[in-house]
Amino acid sequence: MASSETQVSCRDVWKVFGPNAAKVIESGDVDLPRAELMAKTGCTVAARDISFDVRRGEVFVVMGLSGSGKSTLVRCVTRLIEPTSGAIELCGRDVLGAQPKELRELRRTKVAMVFQHFGLFPHRRVIDNVAYGLEVQGIDRDTRYRRARELLGVVGLAPVEASYPDQLSGGMQQRVGLARALAVDPEVLIFDEAFSALDPLIRREMQDEVLRLQERLQKTVIFVTHDLDEALKLGDRIAIMKDGRFVQVGTPAEIVGAPADDYVREFVRDVPRGKVLTAAFATQPHGGEMPDEVVRHDQRLGELLPVVFGAKGPIGVVDGSGELVGILDRRMVVHVLAGREEPSVPEELPA
Amino acid sequence: MAAPTATTMRLPVAARIAGGRLGRWAPPLLLAIPLCVAAAAVEGIHAGFPAGWYLGVPRWFDGLNNWVTQNDSTNFFLHTIVSGFGNILNGATNDVVNLLHWMTWVGVLAAATVFAWIVGTWRTALFSALVICSFGVLQIPNGGPNGISQMWPSAMTTLALMTVAIVLSTIVGIPLGIASAIWPTVSRTLQPVLDLMQILPAFAYLVPIVVLFSIGNPAGIVATFIYAVPPLVRFTELGIRSVKKDVIEAAESFGSTRSQLLRNVQLPLAAQAIMLGLNQVIMMALSIVVIASLIGAGGLGDPVLNALQTQQIGEGAVAGLLIVLMAMWLDRSSAAFGQRAARDRAASGRTLTRRQLAGLCGAVLAVILVAHYGLALGDWPAGFGFSFVDQATTALNWVTNAFTGIAGPLSSFLTLHVLNPLQRWFGDVPWFIVAALVGTVGWARGGWRRGVLLAGCVVLLGLMQAPNGYTFQGTTSYNFVAWSDAMETLSLVVVALALDLVVGIPLGIAAYRWRAVDRVLRPILDFLQTLPAFVYLIPVVTLFGVGNVAGVSASLIYALPAAVRATTLGLRAVQHDVIEAGQAFGSTRWQLLFKVELPIARPYLMLAVNQTILLVMAEVVVAGLVGAGGLGLDVVTGFSRSEVGLGAAAGLAMVLMGIVLDRLSQSNPDRGRVATS
Repeated sequence: MASSETQVSCRDVWKVFGPNAAKVIESGDVDLPRAELMAKTGCTVAARDISFDVRRGEVFVVMGLSGSGKSTLVRCVTRLIEPTSGAIELCGRDVLGAQPKELRELRRTKVAMVFQHFGLFPHRRVIDNVAYGLEVQGIDRDTRYRRARELLGVVGLAPVEASYPDQLSGGMQQRVGLARALAVDPEVLIFDEAFSALDPLIRREMQDEVLRLQERLQKTVIFVTHDLDEALKLGDRIAIMKDGRFVQVGTPAEIVGAPADDYVREFVRDVPRGKVLTAAFATQPHGGEMPDEVVRHDQRLGELLPVVFGAKGPIGVVDGSGELVGILDRRMVVHVLAGREEPSVPEELPA
Repeated sequence: MAAPTATTMRLPVAARIAGGRLGRWAPPLLLAIPLCVAAAAVEGIHAGFPAGWYLGVPRWFDGLNNWVTQNDSTNFFLHTIVSGFGNILNGATNDVVNLLHWMTWVGVLAAATVFAWIVGTWRTALFSALVICSFGVLQIPNGGPNGISQMWPSAMTTLALMTVAIVLSTIVGIPLGIASAIWPTVSRTLQPVLDLMQILPAFAYLVPIVVLFSIGNPAGIVATFIYAVPPLVRFTELGIRSVKKDVIEAAESFGSTRSQLLRNVQLPLAAQAIMLGLNQVIMMALSIVVIASLIGAGGLGDPVLNALQTQQIGEGAVAGLLIVLMAMWLDRSSAAFGQRAARDRAASGRTLTRRQLAGLCGAVLAVILVAHYGLALGDWPAGFGFSFVDQATTALNWVTNAFTGIAGPLSSFLTLHVLNPLQRWFGDVPWFIVAALVGTVGWARGGWRRGVLLAGCVVLLGLMQAPNGYTFQGTTSYNFVAWSDAMETLSLVVVALALDLVVGIPLGIAAYRWRAVDRVLRPILDFLQTLPAFVYLIPVVTLFGVGNVAGVSASLIYALPAAVRATTLGLRAVQHDVIEAGQAFGSTRWQLLFKVELPIARPYLMLAVNQTILLVMAEVVVAGLVGAGGLGLDVVTGFSRSEVGLGAAAGLAMVLMGIVLDRLSQSNPDRGRVATS
């Protein structure tokens, strides 16, 4: 990917909570186990040497259990929490070096956040909540109300604009949170466990809403969650976080199909593999001629089962442009789906 | 309280003591006992505090007073700053009084009623109207105290004094609260000051204020301000701090500046808490009007004070009733104002548009203009009312007669067999035993620092006294033995406290246990809590005459609601699932109460004790007005005879005593006081 496309870039970001945090990093004490570090220095590490890039229009999911440091990490991106060290670039601007005024400017126009417990202002009507970001920018009342109404229409809440947040259901409240974030037309959207507090059905609805909006708006999204299904459903790429460290970064298929270590493997064990893994995971290189039956490399194995067991002859696998890249190995399909053997992603194939 | 388990039984005794509850008592006792023995050996065992030990505090204050009197017009600080500030307060009070008179009685009535209707319901409005009318309707005959025949002007003066004191409290209190919420350093610095202000009985700082501002309205306003401002600062800080973190974070994430955050988010969300604080300010301000009258603030407090001092209870009762009505009126109106924000948000009930509001204000203004210029009205006309004193006197006499058979013997029993022996007994204890005791308990409950501090306070209290045969510049001479006066005050406090706990905690349990009891009790407690402290003095003086018994009974009633409330509150705070667990194991209702609910509510019960002690002490001191002895009487005497040193030293002794009693009854040094209001 061209670097001009990079919207968010974090380099060697550390966040250590506690006294003399910067010294703790330099001294190397940070590598001590959690309890020992606490006893020795009074510090805890929330983010360890994190580097990642998010491209324009990409949905980058940070996923981990509670306490893994994911919420702290995304707060470092806009300095809601001050990182201890590292470099962060947001839309080409240096975040950590920014003066308070510059930082406010960034927060006002470039990036918006959706919060786990919604973070709605209970004393403001829905429309004033949605208009808040524009209000602090000093935009006049008519303009910001017009924009707020537009966004309320997008999330389907136009009829309740004059209500107060506590009169709405949880799902509706988070739609307000979403509309509020979109109202400032940010380039980057950050979702911090945005749907974790919602009921499963509502949660799925909200996820679909995000996918629908994303198709239209193509925002750059950083999405924090502890829910693997949510991560797999929404993420273009997923970073698995543990104890403040990224243990693996990759596409959903890579995470499920090629877990980097036992921790990730344990995580993805119960994922319905057929819904995530693609034909590429069961493809053997093949130089022969085009078989009668062909499938695309990025089709999910689950959907291909009727083809796999229905076809008489070999099944070819083609890439986006129709070139033959190999043939689908039936035995391998079974193994991959059962998760019994470590499948490897053929290098020449985009997964 | 759990039965010792097998393991603890087998431990050696010493280890058990060191590890258990007794362990906290061992170190202070090991220090205190030898110190006591040493003190007894050096000094011998005598009752009370040695007469030869004193700091000369009365002389300082007499000297200070003298200096202030002589330099009032020349010293920059006194002349420009203190007097200037006093003049501003006086001017503001006069302006408000004049405004209220200019508005005419019809205007005042209209404004109060319409305001109540806007913020509340028609019932609030009706109540306000009735209260305003009562200011005019209830009168006392010509030749009453200060020649007042109508209460209307006095009521307007009190209203003006309240307004200025409340505005002053708001101007100072809200910014201080905001500052403490934003900067932890400010909060840390203010906390102990506010603590002290809340522990202090108002009597303690009357004398220094008078020394600075001399007798008059400004002194009254400043005293009211000191008394009333702490809750406003606390509520403002609490309100801003309890705005949820995620809401703040959301506002920050959209790039709000700090002032935008404060204006758009924190202050609006804290508005209800701030209004609650303001409501408290109003109630506290009203509760001090009579005390403020002692230092020359006019208004309704004057006739009450006069009546208490001259035993003309009837007139005092009328003025007292008016103060109570004013308290209820202002309480309801300001509480309704506070709830308005919440009600608007819920979008239920009546909300007015800006135009409707403007219309109503215009209408009130029109009424005022017509009443003033068109009808040339003024204060409430004397003809629209009747003297209420005879009825009040008759009623009070009836009460006296009806209960005299009980009150007389009860009073003499309490005096002869409880108060006097207790006072004698307290007085007989050598000072070092008291200091050691206080120090030990303080240490055991709050660490050695607290123990040393409190023992120091005890010694300092003794040192407040004036030497035998004290005279100042040959003109002023008085006796002041701080120790024995403090012991007298203590005996009153102990009796009232004991009775309060014996009655209050069971009542609190009953209110928790049976809904019917709660339903009956709640309005009574509500009413009692809106009554200013001195109001209790009127009926008890009627019943028991002046003296200690009146003081004890007034304190008893004054503090009772707090004891009951804190108990009920504590029991209600016990989490439901814990109670369910208790029930699931088949506890009876009483087992549940004694094994689960009361033990869990223990911190609240401790709080009940703490609050009751402070309230009792405050009222016992105020009861000096009706001849209850001890430090309160010293302050009253100091005023009536212009013995500034006596009043001020007694005030300081009260401060020390208040600190000792408060800290002894607070078990956890780190925990701030829970707001029970």
